[in-house]
Amino acid sequence: MTTTTAAAPARRGKAMDSLTQRYLVLIGLIVIASVGFGIANDNFYSLANIGILLRSIAVLFLVSMGMTFIMLTGGIDLSVGSNVAFAGGVGVIALTATDSALVGFAAAVLAGMAIGAINGVFIGRLRLSAFMVTLATFALARGLALVIYDADSINVFNGAFLWLGGQSWGNMPVVIPFVALVFVALSVLLYRSPFGRDVYAAGSNFNTAFVLGRMPQRTLVWVYVLSGALAGLSAIITVGRVSSGQPWTGLYLEFDAITAVILGGTSLFGGRGRLLGTILGVLLYGIIINGLVLTGTNPYLQNLIKGLILLGVVLLDTLVQRRKAQ
Amino acid sequence: MPDLSRLLREKNIIFVTLALCLVFYLISPRFLSLDNMSAISRQIVPIGLIALGQFFVVVSGNIDLSMGMGSVLFAIVLGVFFGMTGGVALGIVAVIACSLALGFFNGVLVTKLRLPAFIVTLSMLFCAQGLSGLIIPRGQQIFLMGDFFRFIGAEKFMGLYWSFLFLVALFVLAWVVYNHTRWGAAVIAVGNSEENARLAGVNVDRVKIGVFMFSALCSGFAGIMLSSRMGFVQPGLDGNGLLLDGIAAIIIGGTLILGGRGTIGGAFWGLLFIGVINNALNLLNVEDVWHQVFKGAVILAALGANWVLWQSRQVEAH
Repeated sequence: MTTTTAAAPARRGKAMDSLTQRYLVLIGLIVIASVGFGIANDNFYSLANIGILLRSIAVLFLVSMGMTFIMLTGGIDLSVGSNVAFAGGVGVIALTATDSALVGFAAAVLAGMAIGAINGVFIGRLRLSAFMVTLATFALARGLALVIYDADSINVFNGAFLWLGGQSWGNMPVVIPFVALVFVALSVLLYRSPFGRDVYAAGSNFNTAFVLGRMPQRTLVWVYVLSGALAGLSAIITVGRVSSGQPWTGLYLEFDAITAVILGGTSLFGGRGRLLGTILGVLLYGIIINGLVLTGTNPYLQNLIKGLILLGVVLLDTLVQRRKAQ
Repeated sequence: MPDLSRLLREKNIIFVTLALCLVFYLISPRFLSLDNMSAISRQIVPIGLIALGQFFVVVSGNIDLSMGMGSVLFAIVLGVFFGMTGGVALGIVAVIACSLALGFFNGVLVTKLRLPAFIVTLSMLFCAQGLSGLIIPRGQQIFLMGDFFRFIGAEKFMGLYWSFLFLVALFVLAWVVYNHTRWGAAVIAVGNSEENARLAGVNVDRVKIGVFMFSALCSGFAGIMLSSRMGFVQPGLDGNGLLLDGIAAIIIGGTLILGGRGTIGGAFWGLLFIGVINNALNLLNVEDVWHQVFKGAVILAALGANWVLWQSRQVEAH
């Protein structure tokens, strides 16, 4: 136990070095991808398209930041995509019932947190495997969304509710500064609060964290609740973007988030990674996906490419790390 | 009271399933009719194949998320070969070859490169889905007609569907392999502790690769069964629903999701439970939108119940 305190700063420093390297590589790739798609598509560089791009990946930013917290603890959340649909449904229903945007916001975020709390209790308290529990809530939340919407979309006309996801200042969607704000807030939480240190501790070594009295069980619960809350915010943005709530929204969003987070250098095994990496990962991944959509790629080919990207990144990471270890 | 908890753990699902049957019968007498029973027996075949393959994967301490979409892909492979040659022999050989190859690939990535199984198979899920849609364009389908598909999909032997008999035979075979062979013991050992299994002389990597090849083969069979019953293949088939049903069946059957524990009999009863629920939801005209809610809730409840039962067992052991 005594070595943890002494060795931690040194190891952290080394990890940051390799992460910094990775961020530089990511920035390079982002530039290359932008240039590539810019050549392939004349509209890519227009300010309007950049606004559309950022708006379309705003939800991915939020969800991926939640996923980063979870993956730092060594977990996974397969339910976020379904949760976005469910939370959106609850929010829209609450909104139409009361005609108060504030109630709608609160309902959406609370609904997201509720699914997150189920995940958290099963994973943190009962210590069941994260992918199994979240696979169950993946079905549950999607099912509840379908029930709420009765498998049909609901149009939303409340301007205040749509503001966050739909409004733009010129070519700048309102949601971009909002995402930046969330990023800052979550960074403070992760790097400047005891909770953030608990997150790293739970992911680095659950048993050690437990012995040291850092209550990793409780940390896990809150991490999933946080992810749920971000899914709720994402739901509000999604509804705002298309002015309607839809039961099939966010399908496979969790997959995109996992890929983006891994792309950003967060370890699958917990304890290693930073929010900045996730931001870069989402940007790169978002540019690729957006480019595929703009160039009219077959959606099934897109899925194949997505699957290969995830596999490729995980493979590359593992091989590089193994080589370093030798 | 080891006997009571043992009875509860291993046999509770039997009582629950039978009680459910009774309730559904009281609501709708048609539920227990011979026609409906045989309909259930046919509906559960693809789910049962997924459950059986997944059972070995989960007991070995892994997960195979690619099984559902894999089935869809393999069904499409079968359809394409059928469309080209008009026969099924080549198609079935192709399905078996492709599924074993996919399983081998999954297994090698998980063992040799030590990647987490859920990430490998999650990306395979996407690759399989993408490939399905590339082989047959969206909105199109290939119709499967002929003696073979009628035989698999609709022919009966002494009142039972051939496909159901095939499933039962496979379960019996799996039971023998799981309980009475070195390989079965090795799978359990690997699921309990890879390190101990290795020290005991088990070739852990080979066991795990074998498990993934078996699960992929099962999804290949599931694809054949599914497409024969439906009479057509298309990329939009609900592979994830199949995967969820299969996983639900084995969790309900008491398989420990951390690996190392589980019984084939339990998995079979879990499968019947899922079959009964699915059938009853349709028969009682429960709206489609509720089906997924039930599935998610049932898996969660089963996870919780398993946890309670294993917890009480651990207390006893101390």
